[in-house]
Amino acid sequence: MLTPVEKIIFILAAIASVGFTFHGFKTIIDSIRKGRPAPELKNIPGSLLKAGIAVLFQQTIFKARKLLSAIHMGLFFGLITYAFVNLTDALEGLIPGFDLVYGGKHLPYENVPTGLINTFNLIADVMSGFLLIAITVFFVRRFITKDKALTFRDNVLLNPKVKAGGQNRDSLVVDVFVVMHVGARLMSQAFRLTEGADPFMPIASFLNGIFGASEVGVHVAWWISLGWVMFIIPYLSRSKHTHFFMSPVNLGLAKQNPRGQLDPAVPLKMIEGTRFDPGAKHVHDLAWTRVLDAYACVQCNRCQDVCPANFYQRPLSPSALEVNKRYLLKEATFGGHPEKLELPLTETVISPEAVWSCTTCYACVRVCPVGNEPMADIVDIRRRMLVDGYEIDSGVQNALQSLATNGNWMSKGKRLRGKWAKEMEFPVKDATAEPVDHLWFVGDTASFDERVIPITKMVARIFNAAGLDFGILYKEESNAGNDVRRVGEEGLFEQLVEQNMAAFGKSQFQRIVTTDPHSFNTLKNEYPQFGSEWEVKHYTVTLLRLIEEGKLTIKNKLSNYKVTFHDPCYLGRYNGGFTAPRKLLELCGVEFVEMPRNCENSFCCGAGGGQIWMGKVAPGERPAENRIKEALTTFGEGAGDKTQLFIVTCPKDMIMYSDAVKTTGNEGKIEVRDIVQLIAEAVGVEEPKVAEPVAA
Amino acid sequence: MSNDILVITEHMDGKFSDVSFEMVGKARELASALGGQAVAVVIGSGVDANVFASDSTLHIDDAALSGFNPEAYAKIVEALVKEKSPKAVLFGWTVTGMDVAAWLSAKTGAPCAAYAKDIRVDGGGFVVSCQVYGGKLMAEVAPEGDMAVIACLAGSFPVEAGQGSTAATATASPVDAGSLKVKFVEAIKPAGGDVDITAQAKLVSIGRGIGGKENVELAEELAQALGATVSASRPVVDAGWLPRTRQVGKSGLKVKPKLYLMLGISGAPEHLEGMKSAELIIAINTDKKAPIFNVAHYGATADLFEVAEAMLELL
Amino acid sequence: MNIVVAIKHIPSIADDLPVSGKNVDFDSVDFVLNEWDEHSIEQAVLIKEAVGGTVTVVGVDLIGELDNVLHLALAKGADKVVKITADDPAADSHMQAKWLAEAIKGMGANMVFAGVQASNDLDGQIGPMIAAYLDMPYIGGVSSVEANGDSATVNKEFAGGAGAKYSVSMPFVAGVQAAPKPPRYAPVSKVRQMAQTATIETVSPSGDASAGLAFKNMAPPVATGHAEMIEGSSKEVAAKIVELLKSKGLA
Repeated sequence: MLTPVEKIIFILAAIASVGFTFHGFKTIIDSIRKGRPAPELKNIPGSLLKAGIAVLFQQTIFKARKLLSAIHMGLFFGLITYAFVNLTDALEGLIPGFDLVYGGKHLPYENVPTGLINTFNLIADVMSGFLLIAITVFFVRRFITKDKALTFRDNVLLNPKVKAGGQNRDSLVVDVFVVMHVGARLMSQAFRLTEGADPFMPIASFLNGIFGASEVGVHVAWWISLGWVMFIIPYLSRSKHTHFFMSPVNLGLAKQNPRGQLDPAVPLKMIEGTRFDPGAKHVHDLAWTRVLDAYACVQCNRCQDVCPANFYQRPLSPSALEVNKRYLLKEATFGGHPEKLELPLTETVISPEAVWSCTTCYACVRVCPVGNEPMADIVDIRRRMLVDGYEIDSGVQNALQSLATNGNWMSKGKRLRGKWAKEMEFPVKDATAEPVDHLWFVGDTASFDERVIPITKMVARIFNAAGLDFGILYKEESNAGNDVRRVGEEGLFEQLVEQNMAAFGKSQFQRIVTTDPHSFNTLKNEYPQFGSEWEVKHYTVTLLRLIEEGKLTIKNKLSNYKVTFHDPCYLGRYNGGFTAPRKLLELCGVEFVEMPRNCENSFCCGAGGGQIWMGKVAPGERPAENRIKEALTTFGEGAGDKTQLFIVTCPKDMIMYSDAVKTTGNEGKIEVRDIVQLIAEAVGVEEPKVAEPVAA
Repeated sequence: MSNDILVITEHMDGKFSDVSFEMVGKARELASALGGQAVAVVIGSGVDANVFASDSTLHIDDAALSGFNPEAYAKIVEALVKEKSPKAVLFGWTVTGMDVAAWLSAKTGAPCAAYAKDIRVDGGGFVVSCQVYGGKLMAEVAPEGDMAVIACLAGSFPVEAGQGSTAATATASPVDAGSLKVKFVEAIKPAGGDVDITAQAKLVSIGRGIGGKENVELAEELAQALGATVSASRPVVDAGWLPRTRQVGKSGLKVKPKLYLMLGISGAPEHLEGMKSAELIIAINTDKKAPIFNVAHYGATADLFEVAEAMLELL
Repeated sequence: MNIVVAIKHIPSIADDLPVSGKNVDFDSVDFVLNEWDEHSIEQAVLIKEAVGGTVTVVGVDLIGELDNVLHLALAKGADKVVKITADDPAADSHMQAKWLAEAIKGMGANMVFAGVQASNDLDGQIGPMIAAYLDMPYIGGVSSVEANGDSATVNKEFAGGAGAKYSVSMPFVAGVQAAPKPPRYAPVSKVRQMAQTATIETVSPSGDASAGLAFKNMAPPVATGHAEMIEGSSKEVAAKIVELLKSKGLA
């Protein structure tokens, strides 16, 4: 089709395009490779294949925003189709007589597969329509209705170029590209229809009906269509749409370790002669897989939607972190300012206040369709800030100091840890002194907080009633360190692990049971790296087993309660402990309703990642308050004569939500209870009666 | 060797502190039991020394000592002790007395009993009750030897018993001010602009239990709702969460408000010194064994944040 | 500038303090660094950072657990640490001060810092005693120290923000009430690194002194009075307090 001159121009342009594209991706790959070693990835081809399949079926985006995800799917399939379309279009231009309209009947070959060509033409034609519709929806969403989900809070640190609308420019370029490219391609096909409509090309035929056929038109439209491609491919390597290429790769290289296992503060795999400081100050202190994150992110902001800190109007947006990362890398590479890499992440990527707002609830990582881990970056930044002597929140400092001295964050003496147990009406075994089957790891809040101790005691009574052979570590137990690690105090975490491992070593037991999901998470997922070999169970699982084995019998059906259940982050999202608590509630015979945000999508109470140690700084509705409102909305009007309960399985939740019920003025409407309180009522275990004073 | 009791009095801006009178009163009681004299010792100039109910008052009047100088005081007391061989030397366990008492003990080899809440004569010697370990334990000790140094917590004895009009005998300082290594340069006045907590009728006072600087705001809000001012115990001020001008206690200010509402203060003896004469003391603390509950009029073991927030809603 | 910080390892008052005989049951308590010592270490390190020099932290090891505290001091910026091995948890301030003074004697200190007091200073604080034993002047209640050549400008606090500025010739001993800045946080990784790499100089106790106090009794104080306790939930407590205040015309 093309004239010889056109062919030469096309080939030269294609070479230039390939050259720029190669340069673009080489630059990106070089900058990714400067990142630190990442935790070892196993069977990379296998995970890439798996990721490829996930991408092909668009599985990961449907975790949120179902409708938009469907449109994204249309766009995705359209662009995949267009990869083939562009190839045939190029052949149409370069090979004389290569013309696929009308089932390829003008092709100068024998035995043309007409059916196949017609199918291809139909798919290409229809997909063009889908693409135009999809891109219009996205265009309207961004530029006309201005969906707020695509914007950031004013207090979020943004790269100046982002602030100036860099992302919108990228989006606009791609929007215009798709419209021009697809439109021109449709027109080029329409102009080819010299013999009237082709039933396998309905849209092109429709256009042909309006504009007719034209040899010049074919040339012009062809050049517009393919010219744009040659421009856009290298451009993409310099825009947020690196997403097209990097997201499947990133998904294939995503975290393989358990969710509850943080990456180490310094890479386990050492490069010879390199000494790593813990955590991250500069962008290349991040593991290379997390440098890659920035290129995979297309800034859909799904992470921001689910972030409790962002909800709480804190200056944290996980997606802003990724976009800032990419802009920083872009300025340092394409922008020719490598010195910017020497700027600390806390000035370029995320503000210190935002760093300290994260609750480490994992919602951002879980929801991310492309396998990004902004939370892990935040923990790495905290780690380095601590080592560098950054002045931390005084509440956190007090907590850490107490943890270092007393093994708990509440400034209580070690000997007071088992005080509650000594007050029980039956002896609670000291696992360091006599063998037990279950070692109950109680945790700080459940051991010391006056508001939670009654629940701790009830757990002991239930275990005792079920004949469970259990003991505690008394003063030998230290905080498990889950939140200490997530605050970034890796050294203190290691110290606490060593203390606990030493206490375990002194004791004889078969398995560990915990009441605290935070302790549960680190004991289960992180302690094995320090030599722990014990099976770790959350008490909900243990309680369920005791009932199923008939050690506890449900005597009273609690049909007088209407309840909902809050999945604690560290039990649910982190460790998949969704079923045991729900099973227990079912066995208790309560009326159970599920909140909209449940299981994987549960909303953090706001206490994790060290937030409970901080002062009550921020104004505005707290995540826990929002959650209580969600529960009340779920209950709807009129529970009749039933009592409405908000059931928790985490000591921190007990505190956060009891508080939130009061601060939202909902006392009397909803009551926060630990699941063990329901079990106690159902199996008929009661607090011992305090002896009435004898009348004189 | 005498049976006299020396009381090292302390004064500032021309006024004696209460503990000076308290000790003089106690010294009279002890001296009469031992057959000795209660001698009030006044060091420094610009103060009317004829205000004690002592058996005698010694005024080391030297213009060079207009400001407190720990080194000068120490040397003067050392010289006096040598001259008078008393049975006991009483200091206040205060910002000034603390600088000298233990020094004198180490210098002379005489035993020292600090944090003294009570002193009694027992078989020619003394038994001193000392409030140690942040008020968690009372130790009863008997100083051995010829002389005892006793540093008394303020507020341990009645003030009135030490007030009188014994005429002071002025003498010159035995210490050459020029030879001192510690030189008083100037007084530092409290930073202007802040409220005077001693003049407030109502105080909301916060302690370590407040947890962090960020939470001070809650106390401020509560104080505002009550028409009160926020004051604090030492750790809060040391941590920099509130200025020095807000500190109540031994190293802070003595206050006597109509209402003293305490949030998260356990009640170390040093703090009690500064506030126990408040008219109405209400203490909120999570530790039901906190010593403050032995002093407060009303108490509650509760979470201070919850109570403060609930109070804010009601006010 | 050569700064020596004398510290005290004392029973933690975060726990209940059990009594055995006529003294604390030292086997049943945890020992912690005296909280004022954290300020004196901070003050010393601040001076070092301002004018250079070395900070030496020295303490008496009463129960064989002082190493942790000394490693912490190193992590906070001390250059050298010394422990006097006494192995006597009941060693009083006089004994400790004497041993400390003997250990400090040869160090050529320009300034010696100690915490202004400790909760177990039954027989007085170590700061003024070290001064007496070393024949140096003492100034306590110190809230800031600035070194200028052979002397230092020292602020001493009296009360409520009032205080006085002194000029003190070196060498001297200061009892630190509070450092100008809150004591810094030392990340445990640094502390542990110190534990692995640093050496603690160990010296035997030398010299003899005694408090000269005969212990008659030790017990929790007998409460002379007790507050009227307001029971109930936080909300109920708040309501009762507000009611009480209103009834007295205070709210």
